[in-house]
Amino acid sequence: MDVHGPLSDDGVVRLLTHTGDRVEHPVYSRYAEELDDSTLRQMWREMVVVRAFDREATSLQRQGELGLWVPALGQEAAQVGSGHALRPQDWVFPSYREHAVAHLRGVNLAALLRIFRGLEHGAWVPEEHNFHLYTLVIGSHTLHATGYAMAMDRDGLVGTGDPGRDAAVVCYFGDGATSQGDTNEALIFAAVNNAPVVFFCQNNQWAISEPATRQSKVPFAQRADGVGMPNVRVDGNDVLASYAVTREAMDRARSGGGPGFIEAFTYRMGAHTTSDDPTRYRSKAEEEYWAERDPIARLEAYLTRRGALGDDFRAETEAMAKELAAEVRVATKSASKPPTSEIFDHVFAEPHTIVDAERAWFERYEESFTDAEGGH
Amino acid sequence: MPTFETFYLPDAGEGLTEADIVTWLVAVGDTVEVNQPLLEVETAKSLVELPCPVDGLVTELLVREGDTVEVGAPIVVFDVDPSGAAGEVSAPDLRAAPSGADAAGTDTSPPTFSPTFSPSDAASTPVQVSPSAASGEGLEERLAPAVHSPAPHHEHAEPVGTYAPTHEPVHHEAPPAPSSSVLVGYGVSASEAKRRPRSVEVQSPFHEESDAEIEHPVFAKPPVRRLAKELGIDLSTVSPSGPGGIVTREDVIQHAKAREPRTLATYAGDDQPWLESGIVSADGRMTRVPVKSVRKRTAEAMVASAFTAPHVTVFHTLDITETMDLVARLKKDKEFADVHVTPLLIAAKALLFAIRRHPEINASWDEQRQEIVYKHYVNLGIAATTPRGLIVPNIKDAHRYDLHTLAQELQDLTQEARNGTTSAQAMQDGTITITNVGVFGIDTGTPILNPGEAAILAFGAVRQQPWVHEGEIKVRWVTQLALSFDHRLVDGELGSRVLSDVATVLGDPTKALVWS
Amino acid sequence: METLTLAGAINAGLRKAMERDPKVILMGEDIGALGGVFRVTDGLHKDFGPDRVMDTPLAESGIVGTAIGMSMRGYRPVCEIQFDGFIFPAFDQITTQLAKMHYRSRGKITVPVVIRVPYAGGIGAVEHHSESPEALFAHTAGLRVVTPATPQDGYLMIQQAIASPDPVLFFEPKARYWDKGEVDVDAPFTVDGASAAMSHARVARQGEDVTLVAYGPSVRVALQAAQVCENEGVSAEVLDLRAISPLDIGAITRSVKKTGRCVVVHEAPVPFGAGAEIAARVAEEAFYHLEAPVLRVGGFHSPYPASKLEHDYLPSVDRVLDSIDRVMVH
Repeated sequence: MDVHGPLSDDGVVRLLTHTGDRVEHPVYSRYAEELDDSTLRQMWREMVVVRAFDREATSLQRQGELGLWVPALGQEAAQVGSGHALRPQDWVFPSYREHAVAHLRGVNLAALLRIFRGLEHGAWVPEEHNFHLYTLVIGSHTLHATGYAMAMDRDGLVGTGDPGRDAAVVCYFGDGATSQGDTNEALIFAAVNNAPVVFFCQNNQWAISEPATRQSKVPFAQRADGVGMPNVRVDGNDVLASYAVTREAMDRARSGGGPGFIEAFTYRMGAHTTSDDPTRYRSKAEEEYWAERDPIARLEAYLTRRGALGDDFRAETEAMAKELAAEVRVATKSASKPPTSEIFDHVFAEPHTIVDAERAWFERYEESFTDAEGGH
Repeated sequence: MPTFETFYLPDAGEGLTEADIVTWLVAVGDTVEVNQPLLEVETAKSLVELPCPVDGLVTELLVREGDTVEVGAPIVVFDVDPSGAAGEVSAPDLRAAPSGADAAGTDTSPPTFSPTFSPSDAASTPVQVSPSAASGEGLEERLAPAVHSPAPHHEHAEPVGTYAPTHEPVHHEAPPAPSSSVLVGYGVSASEAKRRPRSVEVQSPFHEESDAEIEHPVFAKPPVRRLAKELGIDLSTVSPSGPGGIVTREDVIQHAKAREPRTLATYAGDDQPWLESGIVSADGRMTRVPVKSVRKRTAEAMVASAFTAPHVTVFHTLDITETMDLVARLKKDKEFADVHVTPLLIAAKALLFAIRRHPEINASWDEQRQEIVYKHYVNLGIAATTPRGLIVPNIKDAHRYDLHTLAQELQDLTQEARNGTTSAQAMQDGTITITNVGVFGIDTGTPILNPGEAAILAFGAVRQQPWVHEGEIKVRWVTQLALSFDHRLVDGELGSRVLSDVATVLGDPTKALVWS
Repeated sequence: METLTLAGAINAGLRKAMERDPKVILMGEDIGALGGVFRVTDGLHKDFGPDRVMDTPLAESGIVGTAIGMSMRGYRPVCEIQFDGFIFPAFDQITTQLAKMHYRSRGKITVPVVIRVPYAGGIGAVEHHSESPEALFAHTAGLRVVTPATPQDGYLMIQQAIASPDPVLFFEPKARYWDKGEVDVDAPFTVDGASAAMSHARVARQGEDVTLVAYGPSVRVALQAAQVCENEGVSAEVLDLRAISPLDIGAITRSVKKTGRCVVVHEAPVPFGAGAEIAARVAEEAFYHLEAPVLRVGGFHSPYPASKLEHDYLPSVDRVLDSIDRVMVH
């Protein structure tokens, strides 16, 4: 492991070690105090359930029910921790791996799989969850997040002092995205406009097969120094620390203090997607090393040692996980091909002659076959 | 009751087409759970472990380790409801007729074991499959039960019992014929090239039915327009038969054909009918032939002549037997072996003699100068019918030629006329003309003067006719001569004398000797 | 009625739109104090302030990307890309994000972003300042692509584009910025139907023998050619398309069905340009009416040349007449 670069844990904020021991931090400990046992149990439960969902989705892909799956395995703490720091009126701009945050924002996980079953491009209404659709072009959404934050600012949702009103945007992306021009432009726009947006970079150390050292010579948080933006590195597998740093950054943004950058140092325990084969570019030793730093295990160890994780709660959690997995399986397998007319829906918000003509033609075309089924 | 599901090899990596079976992690007869590791396959991208899709019993492994299998091929069969055990009926031999009485007795031929049961016959199956769900090309169709055991109400009297694993492959429903769409989990499909039958034609997206309000002369596609142009046809005159008033290629061709001239041969052997260049009228009742070249000149000449010179024609019928005998003798004569000898030749010579005796006939009326021009030479014109029309080439200085030379000249002239190689010069400066109407079997006629000449002789057909010869009726060769002359410079007496002289020589060729 | 230049007319239209709707904001490089390098946003920064007329960092992708984000919150951003040749850094945001947002969200997200682009050549500029990239955007479903040829249209269409809930690429022919024309600034404007209104072709000149289809800076060339061939006995109809997406196919085919001949004129290179789409549509819909193939007059398949050569490169009256001659000969 390199000592000071993007693969080091140089300067990460940590409140919970990988063996489940609590440590203190001069700045961030106070935020952790907001997390009582009940909340911690809840966070543990959410991580377990989401991981079960994630595993089920991988299975479904291997069984031919999904074309692709993007596992978030190993990144549960970064997502659940940061997710807990959000207020309902905040907005989230995810990349495409933030299934735990989606879950926290109330997005139906079974519905989310429709995207990967090839049924639609976006499977929820962003405004109902304040959670934007997944963006597959790397880094593009960082600009959307910034613009959205700028708009929030103009709408008077920033720095009012009213905790029910003040809002900010959190934008999730990975180490690879920090190389994209758009991401860097977003940092610039956010900085010069003092936009209320927190850039949350999950450095899971791999962009498909390229290690983070191909994206940067220095930890990613330092990218923000270039635009004069406050930034922090956090142990992304530590749900408490992830919560704490996000809380601080979001508070700052909501209060008009401008944007911030968080680098969550974590690990992509699974493959990039189900099409990927990590055995071709990383070692078992490395995977084993990070398995020992599993985000769920350390929280579990911590809570168990304190007697804060009872058998009933565990059993209940396991049942919930199983149930969700089964639900997701049923929903996915029964989800059928949408009507072909959907090809032509919503291309434009207002009528467009070409689209309308093609839609009408296609309808007639489909009906022109002798074996055509009526009304589809 | 057993409920079977077939699992098909999925596309594990976005567009893979096949995989190698590496290791089966279960065996036939194993009880399995959803997501339990099922088998390992090697794809082009990586080694992949496939998890089990169902809870149940492994009924049959359809592929072996080491096989290369296409995505979408069936690889394993599960019994997802194994608690429905066999009961009294033993596993049947798939090929045997079912034992036991056919209670209904309606069908005496042994029912064959074909899995004809449709999924809807069966009782509903466990939660993994919902075949009744309104599914398009959902994968549940691919996992549809291969065979169901019959519901109690099924028509077949013979309970077919359970299917124990056999060595014979159970009939599997093939995956639905791959459509051209990419199915989730089944990646790229290799569909066979086939046409799905259509019942109706569909117009293009921007097609507008009616062009009524748009004024435009003609609808025709580019190749048709070109054809019309090549044929010199105005498209707007062609009746369109295509849909919506489109002029088709056929329409144009029909139109052109209707204008084709009928090939009329004006006489036997007429190999270049002058009507060829004509245009048949729309009603097909007449052909218009543009007046061109020869015909034009002929017409002009005729007009010029007929309406300038007052024509008079005198006729003479004579016994031409002596000439015929002469012709016969000359044909055998060695000196004349290389030329044609015809009655026309003798007639030509006779006319030359007549001219010698009456040179005033060999003249022309110069209206402009108000002079009569007597020629000191005879350019003897022979009216010739050619495919291009009537021409009158002349034998220059015919008066100088002996009979043999005259014969040669006549022959050459005729040949050239036939060949169409008569020069313009040959047709100029004629002084007198013979027209051999006899060739057509015609007795005589009232020929029109060749412009610039004063007389024209028509030599009729030579026929055997009864004649008074030396006081007795004999069969003799008889012919008629006609001489038309320009009455401005030739009076009746001159004309008659000339004709008479011609007739005299033809009647008695030895007279030429006397007049020489 | 007022006499305005095209630039002035667009300026007036922007002002009207901003007065009408407080959510309309302008974003671009140098559009604020400077008023834009072509002065199209002149005076607006002073009257509406920096929050509504924003000078942005020098980052085209950033401009469009943040505009998308703002529009998701109900704002109506009007971005300016300073010159046509600089639109390419934003190409990704325009084609993968802006064009597809409404579709992928099944209509739940609208992105009413207008991107104003001075385009096309004829002003003696250096590289990347004379491009005609409209076909690249027309080829992307989800974007409306429009271009005014006259001050009147500039005034109206910019307002229609802003009122449209769809993303609009608004191509402004910079060679025409200083052309003057009559503008009815008091004409009633309705937001409803704005998308449709700016998508209809205009018959700039009636004719019988051949249809000249043009847009933007080429409308003037087409009209000039029509004038010349009128004197030679050929009556040309000139269509100003105004919108390239959607193409007013109905208007084009109606005209060609009448004349039987079609010549398309645009500055963009002929190969794979908008004219190819027009030619294909005309061939499909008016096949039996055609007396001659559809011809296209435009730039050559080369990068835009050095400016001393541009008038040989651009479709001129003679080049248009050449095509008219060729279709008339058939």
